[in-house]
Amino acid sequence: MAAQQTPTNRTPLLIPCSYLTTEGNKTGSWRFLRPRYEEKTSPCSAACPAGEDIGRVEMLTAQGSFKEAWETVMMENPFPGVCGRVCYHPCEQQCNRKEFDEPVAIHSLERFLADTASRYELQLSLQKLESKKQKIAIVGSGPSGLAAGYFLTLLGYQADIFEALPEPGGVLRWGIPLYRLPLSILNREIAQIRELGVQIHCGKSISQEFWRGGKSEYDAIFLGCGHSRSVPLKISGEDLAGVKDGLQFLADIRRGEVSALDGTAAVIGGGNTAVDTARSAARFGAKVILIYRRRRQDMPAFAEEVEMALEEGVELWELQTPVNIAAQDGDFVVTLQHMHVIGKDGQRKARVKPDSNKKKKIRVQHLFKAVGTEASETWYEPPKKTRGMLRLSNCVLLHKSREPTLVYGGDLVADIKSVAHAVASGKQAAIALDILFHEGLDAVRPRLQSCLVAEGPSISWETYIGGPRSLRNQRVVRYSDLNTDYFQFAPMMIQPRLLPEERFQSFAEINLKIGASLAIREAERCFNCGLCNQCDNCQLFCPEIAVTRDNNPRGRHINYDYCKGCGLCVVECPRNAMILEEELLCDTS
Amino acid sequence: MQLDNLNREHMCSGHVGCPGCGAALAMRFLLKALGNKTIMIIPACCWSIIAGPYPQSTLKIPVLHSAFETGGAVASGVRAAHDIKGDTETTVVTWAGDGGTFDIGFQALSGAVERNENFIYVCYDNEAYMNTGVQRSSSTPYGAWTTTTPGQHWKRLRKKNIVEALVAHRIPYAATASIAFPEDLMRKAKKAKDMAGSRFIHIFSSCPTGWGMPSEMSVKIARMAVQTTIFPLYEVEDGLRYTINYTPKGYLVNEYFRLQGRFKHLTEEDLESIQEMVDEDWNLLLRKAGVALETS
Ligand SMILES: Cc1cc2nc3c(=O)[nH]c(=O)nc-3n(C[C@H](O)[C@H](O)[C@H](O)COP(=O)(O)OP(=O)(O)OC[C@H]3O[C@@H](n4cnc5c(N)ncnc54)[C@H](O)[C@@H]3O)c2cc1C
Ligand SMILES: Cc1ncc(C[n+]2csc(CCOP(=O)(O)OP(=O)(O)O)c2C)c(N)n1
Ligand code: SF4
Ligand SMILES: [Mg+2]
Repeated sequence: MAAQQTPTNRTPLLIPCSYLTTEGNKTGSWRFLRPRYEEKTSPCSAACPAGEDIGRVEMLTAQGSFKEAWETVMMENPFPGVCGRVCYHPCEQQCNRKEFDEPVAIHSLERFLADTASRYELQLSLQKLESKKQKIAIVGSGPSGLAAGYFLTLLGYQADIFEALPEPGGVLRWGIPLYRLPLSILNREIAQIRELGVQIHCGKSISQEFWRGGKSEYDAIFLGCGHSRSVPLKISGEDLAGVKDGLQFLADIRRGEVSALDGTAAVIGGGNTAVDTARSAARFGAKVILIYRRRRQDMPAFAEEVEMALEEGVELWELQTPVNIAAQDGDFVVTLQHMHVIGKDGQRKARVKPDSNKKKKIRVQHLFKAVGTEASETWYEPPKKTRGMLRLSNCVLLHKSREPTLVYGGDLVADIKSVAHAVASGKQAAIALDILFHEGLDAVRPRLQSCLVAEGPSISWETYIGGPRSLRNQRVVRYSDLNTDYFQFAPMMIQPRLLPEERFQSFAEINLKIGASLAIREAERCFNCGLCNQCDNCQLFCPEIAVTRDNNPRGRHINYDYCKGCGLCVVECPRNAMILEEELLCDTS
Repeated sequence: MQLDNLNREHMCSGHVGCPGCGAALAMRFLLKALGNKTIMIIPACCWSIIAGPYPQSTLKIPVLHSAFETGGAVASGVRAAHDIKGDTETTVVTWAGDGGTFDIGFQALSGAVERNENFIYVCYDNEAYMNTGVQRSSSTPYGAWTTTTPGQHWKRLRKKNIVEALVAHRIPYAATASIAFPEDLMRKAKKAKDMAGSRFIHIFSSCPTGWGMPSEMSVKIARMAVQTTIFPLYEVEDGLRYTINYTPKGYLVNEYFRLQGRFKHLTEEDLESIQEMVDEDWNLLLRKAGVALETS
């Protein structure tokens, strides 16, 4: 470019007067470091089993773009209303903000977006890809099956869901109680999946005959049958009439078949089913004792649920295990063996052993077993190891030449049994099948690898279909990468809740709705780690006036004719959305 | 402040300031606030070079390069000439370094503001004579290495408090500002522009080259100077009314010193005594501002 001949002063003066700007000096040639815009991965999104693009969701929420924010969630998870309520939100544990003050209330915002979408009846505008010839059958309409159907349909496949029970939803409908997940929320999110074109056939129990012998019209079968059979206690008296199964009790409540419970109820177990059984029994009037063989911190139930159960008056007896159940005048007498901790079992749980002969008896009017669940049919589980089998992070794929490909997902194969993991398995299954149909079995692993969020195991749908998120660096932004001088202290929002005494009176939802202004304020607390939120600091702090706003999606570009590579933009970027590289190493195209 | 004004640039790319130069940023921010109806007098300093050799100029406003010691006097004359021409709209600004302000230009400055000349005097402070290779000035802080306070002979005298010297002249407006707080800086420049009489703005402008620090740290360091109260942000009207613009959050000085090569010889004990000096100065300022003393 020729030097610009701009006279800086037209007045004729008798002293020498400059008539050129300095723009002829291409001072960019001094540079040996090159700043560049590069979005990175936020730790929360890597911790979310469903790989939601949380940093971007909160940015859009803070801007009041609720529909876009909701759709950004929907791109990775069709259940924001459900997960915003029941997910144990591992995202918040990794939130960088927790090192500054407190984490962002990510789950409350997710729920807010879903509630807003519902309130204004927002329609999803995600585009389905062109239709494909393959058909996929899905066994089970729990979150894994529904998610598989949703993502397969988005990819252009025909997906038919078969559900044994009269209504879809799996544990979401029959297990998780209404005080945590109102039916209207579940129904709306399932309706959305139906509207997209997923066929759900209820009252249809599927057996292996469905595909055996090459007579199936389907190219693949997704098995998301869940764990519905309770694990026995293996003690005498457990089959006495009146000893109930926790999971069954929760389903009975949903069918309206439970009436008042008087006296004391004992619930045996420490998982989500046990805690929900205890809290539900309390709502029917019982005084509830939750009996667990290890300690509170070892309980597989989500910590927040345990805390609320205690608030609601449930008594927790730790380090006790039942060894005998006897019937006495219509009551049960349970003999409890005291346990003590003898070490660690794996990473988390305590290993326990009976503490000599310390035993006690308790007399209760109701007794519920809830010590775990398993698959109700052995064929629901993947075979040990066979040819054509791929064990992926969230599902297991079994490719056969003569029969439809089988994919096992959800609780059937999950290490951590949660709704978000179930969604992740449905999504991974859909993507894996798409890769299999197009590029063959060998391509499945490497292609999945390329759509990991950070190092995985979460995967991103948006990355798979080549959306803007696919341009991000998979490197996770740490707290020390941020310039926190630009953030102000602000405590986490307080989730409004029913008081414990109000909770007893009904199965009404405990966590109350939040308004838009509170949601925006909370979303503004998000650091948007690794993402550009157009704060314009890079432009503001450039001593060379070498950062220029323009119309590209990023909103600005660096003029390398003049950038001296001082690096101020990179350091003053509060959210680490830029990087500084050695000039020689980078692409100069 | 109107965004429209802030979007406008009165400075060009291609200037020859060092990478990360705080003085270049300071100029950019100042002119965004003052606009192009400004004439500038630049006595000898880094900016004499940054502004470009004849026939180039990096500034889109008229600039007069003046002798080192004459910033105040030349501005007085330029103001008088404009007034004679009936141009009361143009803002006359002297833009000088700390050497040109605290030391050699002090007499001309003091004289001009004593006469309450109608102009703005801006000192961009990089705490030494940088253009000639880092010689100490009366603005160089206690503890600093310069080429004239080398090795074990680091400067053991305090930095002159120039704002207080100007306040003693009871001028209409005197303020400190920092490149790390551009909004505050631009607000003060705009406020000064809308006033009459002598106005003085002291801008903390980090210098990666002279301070021995990475260029990308220059804003961060300037921010730390404010956060630690080493360089408090405040303004004084009519030599009497003090307003403190930034309330620090109790950062200690150590990290600020540790990040700069010019202080690398300082021991823990030195830093402790520096912390005491900084606290003393801050408490003195609080007293002047009529703010209750922090009980420590
Ligand atoms: C009481 C309880 C509370 C929980 N609370 C939480 C919580 O707060 N947060 C959380 O993240 N997770 C929670 N979980 C775990 C979570 O609900 C499960 O991990 C998740 O529902 C698993 O989804 P899925 O799709 O694998 O199976 P499921 O939800 O179990 O669904 C399986 C479906 O398949 C159907 N099916 C089975 N076999 C057949 C067949 N042969 N033909 C047709 N249909 C069939 C079943 O009827 C069922 O509808 C809870 C679980 C329970 C039991
Ligand atoms: C009378 C006179 N003495 C010495 C010089 C040489 N000289 C030019 S710039 C400069 C240093 C200016 O220091 P300062 O005012 O702090 O500005 P900086 O270069 O640090 O930005 C000196 C000593 C001169 N130009 N005129
Ligand atoms: S020596 Fe310092 S003040 Fe001078 S141009 Fe370089 S960085 Fe800027
Ligand atoms: Mg200087």
